[in-house]
Amino acid sequence: MNVIEINQLTKFYGKHRGIENVTFSVEEGEIFGFIGPNGAGKSTTIRALLSLIHPTSGSATIFGKDCIKYGSEIRRDIGYLPSEVFYYEHMKVREVLNYSASFYDNVNYSRIQSLAEIMDLDLNKRIDDLSYGNKKKVGIIQGLLHEPKLIILDEPTGGLDPLMQQKFFDLIREENEKGATILFSSHILSEVQKLCGRVAIIKDGTIVRVENIRDMQKHNYKKFTLEYKGVIDVHHFNLEGVTNLTLDKNTLHFLFKGDINRIVERLQGQSLLNMLVEEPSLEEIFMHYYQKED
Amino acid sequence: MNILKQELRMGRKSLIIWCLSLVGVLCFFMLLYPSISNQLEDFQKVFKSFPIEFQQAFGIADLELSSILSFYQFTLMYVLLAGAIQAMNMGVAIISSEVREKTADFLFVKPVSRNRVVSMKILAVLVQILITNAFVFTAALIIVTLLSTDAYDVELFALFTLSLLFIQIFFASLGLFVSVFLRRIRTVLPISMGVVFIFYIIHLLNETLKDEKLGLISPFDYFNLSEISKKMNYDSLNFLLWFVLVGMFIFLTFKLFARKDLPSI
Repeated sequence: MNVIEINQLTKFYGKHRGIENVTFSVEEGEIFGFIGPNGAGKSTTIRALLSLIHPTSGSATIFGKDCIKYGSEIRRDIGYLPSEVFYYEHMKVREVLNYSASFYDNVNYSRIQSLAEIMDLDLNKRIDDLSYGNKKKVGIIQGLLHEPKLIILDEPTGGLDPLMQQKFFDLIREENEKGATILFSSHILSEVQKLCGRVAIIKDGTIVRVENIRDMQKHNYKKFTLEYKGVIDVHHFNLEGVTNLTLDKNTLHFLFKGDINRIVERLQGQSLLNMLVEEPSLEEIFMHYYQKED
Repeated sequence: MNILKQELRMGRKSLIIWCLSLVGVLCFFMLLYPSISNQLEDFQKVFKSFPIEFQQAFGIADLELSSILSFYQFTLMYVLLAGAIQAMNMGVAIISSEVREKTADFLFVKPVSRNRVVSMKILAVLVQILITNAFVFTAALIIVTLLSTDAYDVELFALFTLSLLFIQIFFASLGLFVSVFLRRIRTVLPISMGVVFIFYIIHLLNETLKDEKLGLISPFDYFNLSEISKKMNYDSLNFLLWFVLVGMFIFLTFKLFARKDLPSI
């Protein structure tokens, strides 16, 4: 069953494009990555899902129900963590969390306490005394305290130190194992790589592709680093399947997708000092999606 | 109910300050009464020596300072002015603050409909207006009773003082409408002060011009204190207009806000 189904979703702010014909779906129980550079339309898509904004055309359903029409009903089972968190400044953390909990039925209030202990957050502090990272922790707790079936994370890790990021990822995995579906938006590919099964890549408001991370990494791309003795002829590797070709003094870097033997052919007769063939990181694979077309 | 409770909690401090200020204005002017009451005739003479347009513009043309209620009428005008600003402030701020303080991403992803949030917020404004009025009414009643040397018309006092309630409701609903109509509001006070003063100036202008059509523009004219003291009641046409406008502002607030896009941070 699909938890989220987005169909031809389009949002224009006047003449300014937000997103255009975004279509993808998220299955129940998966951790789905949503990646793209800043301004690509990740937040716009997410805000439409939460009916914070109204789409110009197209539709989206969550749990099989229309996002706008059944918004308040759907949101009972959604936990949301925005990229930047802001709360009522003069309130204490505990008060904000209790206020948040008061919107849901059957909230287990001891969960606030236990989550705060995991995240190492002082519940008696005032919101305006908190650092950015600590505010983020408040956001994480208020997003998870009602044990939502769908968790939507919009660039969630900013401001968290590596240790906290790890704890946060553990929490998310734990929720996922308990059955929650997760939509994880980010522009940091390595964290998506760590967590997600499938990803949708968005660029300039449109979905470039939806792919399975493992497939894409294992079967498609190889990262080559060649160190030469003498002068390098860059055009030598100007063949189909080569991307991200960069020259750094006498070292050549590129990604290759396709039959590996074609590279081996090209290497014959070359005098190399060193050669590395690696699994590329997602960052490198997606770099060409990120670079704006001229 | 949790939203209502939260709003009242957050508005508590400013409500107390406003209540005290309104009563402060009232006390300040009213306490002048005993000291000048024996010189009132002289004052009256001075006022009457001004050109009639001037007298009308300052709302002292029909003023008979001889009785405590006419002095109260003069004082109340400033309370109405301040109260209008308070109410409009609340109306403009209560919804727009969620966007301005960037807490919209917290509140509007909760399982409540926008209409419900708006209802609760309007209710919170109404409760605060009622509290303000109860406070001002009680304080005014005590002051006027203490200062009056002989009996005064309690009904007229009530009609005078209740106009604060109606004027506040008007400006609060106007403020709500303005807050959802404008795309983004950065500061509240200049908007509410500006609007209230424009309406007040129109009212003062109309005191001179006595134009019936112009009188339909400003809510201060709907509850014109000197007219009320003549008629011993509110003007029914003006009251109807008040009712229709308040209803329309509230309706549009719901309608516009339900379709509004909440901008990301």
